[in-house]
Amino acid sequence: MAKTKPGRRSKLANEGVMGRLKYFSARAVANIRQNVFVNIVTIVTITLALLLISFFLLAFVNLKGLADDWTRRVQITAYFEQELDPQELGALRARIQALPGTAEVVYVGKEEAVKKFRARLKGQESLLDGISAEVLPASIEISLQRGSRDGEAVTTYVTRLKKIPGIGEVQYGEEWVRRFNTFMNFMRIVGALLGGFLLLAVIFIVSNTIKLTIYARKDELELLGLVGATRMFIKAPFLIEGVIQGAAGSSLALIVLAGCYFGFLHNAGNFLSFNPAEMGLSFLPLEYLAAIFLGGIILGFIGSITSLKRFISI
Amino acid sequence: MIQLHNVFMSYQRDATALNGVTLHIPKGDFVFLTGTSGAGKSTLLRLLYGALRPTRGQVLVNGQNVTRLTAAQIPLLRRNIGVVFQDFKLLPHRTVLENVAITLEVLGWGKKDIGKKVYHILKQLGIEHKINATPLRLSGGEQQRVALARALVNDPKILLADEPTGNLDEENKAQILSFFKQCNLRGTTVIIATHDRRLIENSYKKVIVLDKGQVVEVHDGQN
Repeated sequence: MAKTKPGRRSKLANEGVMGRLKYFSARAVANIRQNVFVNIVTIVTITLALLLISFFLLAFVNLKGLADDWTRRVQITAYFEQELDPQELGALRARIQALPGTAEVVYVGKEEAVKKFRARLKGQESLLDGISAEVLPASIEISLQRGSRDGEAVTTYVTRLKKIPGIGEVQYGEEWVRRFNTFMNFMRIVGALLGGFLLLAVIFIVSNTIKLTIYARKDELELLGLVGATRMFIKAPFLIEGVIQGAAGSSLALIVLAGCYFGFLHNAGNFLSFNPAEMGLSFLPLEYLAAIFLGGIILGFIGSITSLKRFISI
Repeated sequence: MIQLHNVFMSYQRDATALNGVTLHIPKGDFVFLTGTSGAGKSTLLRLLYGALRPTRGQVLVNGQNVTRLTAAQIPLLRRNIGVVFQDFKLLPHRTVLENVAITLEVLGWGKKDIGKKVYHILKQLGIEHKINATPLRLSGGEQQRVALARALVNDPKILLADEPTGNLDEENKAQILSFFKQCNLRGTTVIIATHDRRLIENSYKKVIVLDKGQVVEVHDGQN
């Protein structure tokens, strides 16, 4: 047997950052090819797990939109201490408009108030027969900006409003705002709990699936260690494999989600009695889609790194 | 080359695998480690390539104190030691080429160089025609040669073998022993753990006898 001295070789082809990266990527692709079934199982698991999260987010985003819509009903009606002339009214409106959180200020005169009242009593307008416009007071209706519509912000706003000279009684449906805020807080807690449990379940399922796939190759990991591979050398292809699985799984989840939304929910009006799209059911914003894709990659990476710890003894 | 100073190794409180072993194996030696099952042969080999750390004592290999090596230094030690495992440890779904190449891939060799070197070593061992076969399709003797090829392909300074002829017929045993001897002639230190008396008697090499974790006899061979 002729002995070849290690020094005779011209160079180490897989040395250097790029050389190693090229080798590890090629190794990862080869591993996927050699273990097609376990890779498909992992990718499908990641896809299903992320689909659960995606549907949860879709529901969350739409409920949030709906809740925002509801808060538009928070309206403040301010009455005057005494009758104001147009000049005083203009000055008052300007002061209210300057209050932080004000979105829109509308003056409702006595005539307008009677009209509105009459509209509310639809079918029983006769009750107002003989009542003149003088009976009802003029008022100012204030809509608030999005961030100022919850409980505390409304109370603070009303306190400031009351300090403006000329403003008398202020009504803003305190009870409704209080109940709505309690409901929203409840929804936030339930959403956070559900989302948290869902995320934990997804992490648990995906990391265990990856653990099983790595367990199936524990002999290879052991052997690599025995022939002198460093930890990095053993781990890198598995980590790249995990990233590829995560990217493939999240891409598939997003494709299925888009398919479900645009193929079914968006066109549901054709076969259902209502059209969810017309009711304001919207698709996930771009940043959510990017987060799901990145989440898949991170899931694959973290799942692989935690599983590898168990099987690498050096 | 290899030195053990008063090495103790216990797996559990009452199970002592090595009990105060002191040994010196010079560079280029050919040594048989023998003894009954449980005498401590495999444990001693595992200490040499850093798969185990002794409970007490010092293990020096190639001038390095194995007991003090960090986890990051162990791979570098192993790159100079070829090991033929009792159960071969071949990857069943990889080809013979891929199984042997793994040793060179770890060292960063390129594909072309690996192909040439693996073919060369397989040819020396007479199994080059099986280069694309998977171990599942090989006989015990052929699998043993693949394991030997993987251990030798990077020309290690030390070759360790744990019961390398355990399941082989006489013809295959003789051939495997001949490969070990050729390897030793080129300067590689060879240590074979075996309880095969016939193999030892036919080789006329140095023999270290272990019993209950202690060195009880050392016979110098006709190296």
